[in-house]
Amino acid sequence: MYVKLTALFFVAAFTTVISQAHSYEDNRCKCVCPSPAAVLNDTAGADRSPFMKSANVPPNKCNCEVVILPFMTDQLKDRQQEFCPRCECKYENRNTTIIKVVVIIVIWVIMLLVVYMGFLICLDPLINKRAKASYQEHTNEDDESTLGGPSQQLGARGNVLNRVTHQQDRTPTGQVE
Amino acid sequence: MYYKNNHCLGGVCFLIGSTELQCTETPVILLNVLASTSFHGDVDMERYPLKSAVPKMGSTYQSVYKKGPNGSNGRGLHSPTEDDLVDITAGLQQDAGGASANTTPTNHGTFQLYEHSQRNSNASANSYVAQYFNTSIVQCKDSLLNEMAMIPTELDNEDLLEPLVPQGDVRDTIIFSGMQGDDDIPGIGQYDDFHTIDWQRDIARDRMRHRYIVKKRQDSLWDLIKGAHDAWSGWVCVLLVGVCTGMVAGVIDIGASWMTDLKFGICPQAFWLNREQCCWSDTDTTFNTGNCSQWLTWPQVLGGKHEGPGAYIVSYLFYIVWALIFAALSASLVRMFAPYACGSGIPEIKTILSGFIIRGYLGKWTLIIKVVGLILSVSSGLSLGKEGPMVHIASCLGNILSYLFPKYGRNEAKKREILSAAAAAGVSVAFGAPIGGVLFSLEEVSYYFPLKTLWRSFFCALIAAFILRSINPFGNEHSVLFFVEYNKPWIFFELIPFVGLGIIGGCIATIFIKANIYWCRYRKYSKLGQYPVTEVLVVTLVTAVIAYPNPYTRMNTSELIYLLFNQCGISNADPLCDYNRNFTDVNSAIEKAAAGPGVYRAIWLLVLALILKLVMTIFTFGIKVPCGLFIPSLALGAIAGRIVGIGVEQLAYHYPKIWLFSGECSTGDDCITPGLYAMVGAAAVLGGVTRMTVSLVVIMFELTGGVRYIVPLMAAAMASKWVGDALGRQGIYDAHIALNGYPFLDSKDEFQHTSLAADVMQPKRNETLSVITQDSMTVDDVETLLKETEHNGYPVVVSKESQYLVGFVLRRDLNLAIANAKRTLDGITGQSVVIFAGTGNQPPAPPQCLHLNRILDMAPITVTDQTPMETVVDMFRKLGLRQTLVTHNGRLLGVITKKDVLRHVKQMDNEDPSSVLFN
Repeated sequence: MYVKLTALFFVAAFTTVISQAHSYEDNRCKCVCPSPAAVLNDTAGADRSPFMKSANVPPNKCNCEVVILPFMTDQLKDRQQEFCPRCECKYENRNTTIIKVVVIIVIWVIMLLVVYMGFLICLDPLINKRAKASYQEHTNEDDESTLGGPSQQLGARGNVLNRVTHQQDRTPTGQVE
Repeated sequence: MYYKNNHCLGGVCFLIGSTELQCTETPVILLNVLASTSFHGDVDMERYPLKSAVPKMGSTYQSVYKKGPNGSNGRGLHSPTEDDLVDITAGLQQDAGGASANTTPTNHGTFQLYEHSQRNSNASANSYVAQYFNTSIVQCKDSLLNEMAMIPTELDNEDLLEPLVPQGDVRDTIIFSGMQGDDDIPGIGQYDDFHTIDWQRDIARDRMRHRYIVKKRQDSLWDLIKGAHDAWSGWVCVLLVGVCTGMVAGVIDIGASWMTDLKFGICPQAFWLNREQCCWSDTDTTFNTGNCSQWLTWPQVLGGKHEGPGAYIVSYLFYIVWALIFAALSASLVRMFAPYACGSGIPEIKTILSGFIIRGYLGKWTLIIKVVGLILSVSSGLSLGKEGPMVHIASCLGNILSYLFPKYGRNEAKKREILSAAAAAGVSVAFGAPIGGVLFSLEEVSYYFPLKTLWRSFFCALIAAFILRSINPFGNEHSVLFFVEYNKPWIFFELIPFVGLGIIGGCIATIFIKANIYWCRYRKYSKLGQYPVTEVLVVTLVTAVIAYPNPYTRMNTSELIYLLFNQCGISNADPLCDYNRNFTDVNSAIEKAAAGPGVYRAIWLLVLALILKLVMTIFTFGIKVPCGLFIPSLALGAIAGRIVGIGVEQLAYHYPKIWLFSGECSTGDDCITPGLYAMVGAAAVLGGVTRMTVSLVVIMFELTGGVRYIVPLMAAAMASKWVGDALGRQGIYDAHIALNGYPFLDSKDEFQHTSLAADVMQPKRNETLSVITQDSMTVDDVETLLKETEHNGYPVVVSKESQYLVGFVLRRDLNLAIANAKRTLDGITGQSVVIFAGTGNQPPAPPQCLHLNRILDMAPITVTDQTPMETVVDMFRKLGLRQTLVTHNGRLLGVITKKDVLRHVKQMDNEDPSSVLFN
């Protein structure tokens, strides 16, 4: 079952990956500049918060002159030389494919686990019944060195969801040396 | 002429005073035997098994050599110790069952010898052989038997003679099986759940296996390749661990950042992108809203407006609902599949590394659920971090991958070397700090950390950091979200506020530890502990409801830390950077300025955030989801530090001329950086909570890439540790270890009481010590003893009257060996005499004897009853003992187990000794 599910899930993941075209770029030049109003001490400018601009340019062209100025000529007029040193430009890379694959895998794994958990919860009453019936022989078959282990385990297994508490509780009730 | 005991595998080793040695062996077979002895020189030179430990085997040889020259005394005949025998197969086991005793024809009297003077020379196998043939070797089986018969008569005169091994155990071939598996009794050398491991035994087993491989290397090319594979398997294993850890960390980082943003909105065109990535290539973004056209908040998705009270309420509701969904999923997955995946895991890893077995704690299910649960619980906005669990995840990977290499997978002591390296890789990816990771492993989690492990950890951390860095999960070219780059100077006066921050950090940390432990204890002993999922949901609900209105708690904690660490530049639009600056002068750097109203508002919000985070973290750490506390404590400290930093900055701005600043702040440039204070504060709180010092400072400066802040960080870490130690003795991990009652014998504590071994040992007065005699108990007797007592091991004595110690046998091994013998050997009945070590002159009358000398540890560590407990505790710590035997006048008096030691330590410290969990 696991193999099939895993295979299914990989096929699904990769078809999603391949079918989607790259709608998002993998590199950018990001420039952060103060608002022109703040730099030029233009009291008329209402918005004084900084702004950011990204552009898809080659790394060697990643600077204020190329990215910012073409959009700002009318605002800045002849004061471009004062504005640009205040900007910070950085060239950045990312890999959207990895992000896509990882996120899809995470979603799939969570879904699988949830489905499996639901399955176990539904199955729980059945398992419980059978466990109670076959419990006695089971201990005898097992090696004696784990005395008390299985009985504890099965006893606390009343509800699948209770296994945590049981495991946690097992800790303090250790045997004497 | 001396005898070396540890290579008399399956053979009998004799210590004979004369230079003549007699043997019926053919030279060819002797060659085999001797070849195996040639590596014994390694023994003394091998790395010591524990920090500053004295090798047990080495000391055994010592005693033999010392006694040897007198010939007539000392160990007349040394049979193989259990350590030696664990790895032997075939012939020996057959005989151990007694079936083939006396049936192998030509093998009596195989033994070896060599000159003492050459013991430490680098003699090769050949030289031993040469030496061997120079010695006069006479075949004489009878004289040998005479020797054997004589020795028992000397028993009474000597302190403690090793009894003779029955002749049947003499063998012509030696088969090591360290590689394939230990022996034909399945399970020997493994441990039960919640037991402590015997470091000495495991290290000795590995040494045997190693010698076998080295010996075999000369046989064929294939063996040579196998030997080479064995030699590099440690490095390959840590390489794999590093690669996997890096990849898993990348998955967690990407998954958690995507899911965290899912609480706020979605990127409809590419749902797998988080907000920042969604707006990544947007050509026109401002910082005003943090939003771009591609990213839709939930109100927008539902068709409403982005702003306004209605949108706020919808966002609020979505935030709470998503948080509850994530937390519920995380908690029920943990509860369902892997209960051990909850919590940070570092206390348990510490305990496991100190030599405790918790089955399933590092298993596959724990790994899967911890990864998935960690993504979910981080995304749910609870006050927790992913750094601690990352250590657990890396250790799980280390454990799982070590099974690919039998050298590590089948040997618990060796496996812990890999786990130490994995822990380093975990911190390395969590903080993007490889060296910090190695030091963390050394300082905080590891118990046994030889140099070899240091190098492996270094390599593992390097690989993990490299892999994560190439995945580039945050798109910022770093492996952590809150990486900041600093290059501002600090002035001498600032050390005072830094130390002050250390004191504040120590206080916050102490409050946190005390309250958290109180709450965890309450949870443990009250009904609350029965409702783990409900508790998680309630905590999540409360956190979400309170956290949303405050922007500093609403955001991801890593982002908050990043914001606080950052210095205010033009790119920072947060109210925290609302200074009355002007940007008009191109040439001047950003200088100090008066704080604007935004800063004061931000400070109030930060104070609220500090209180909320502190309280919520107290309730969060310990709930049944994967949760770590590095990030919350860093955030607490960063908030406190930033507030102090702004205060000092404003002081410097308003009074730049006072003597404190020694004129350095008069220019206004690069004077006080509040972000640096945030960093120091973060280090202080984290240092106070975990009591780390060296590794903490290294992690912090790797995070900031600035070496010049080492002194401030050191000052703060030290101050916080002092304050923390003064106010409360234990760090959070030690406190949780004590709370859970794990048998962890801290190697950093000192034992300062004057008790003696006799006060601590079991049995107390009026009780009898359960012992097994070496050759007079029947199988039934032994089984009755096993049923009636619950001890994990039994001393073997010569006879109940004399109580002369022979060795020590473990309950588990005894059970397995008897069960195995009953299954595989004919003629074993309840009346069969069990012979652990015997004189060999008893007639093998029916019912047949059950020879169990293989499972007998003939070199148990002993102390006398007058040994001070200080020494005993030191032995337990440094040698990694499981138990030690107490003798008086050479007679066995009692046993001290690790549990007794832990109990005694607790008793002496006025704590409840019954809280220690122990098997």
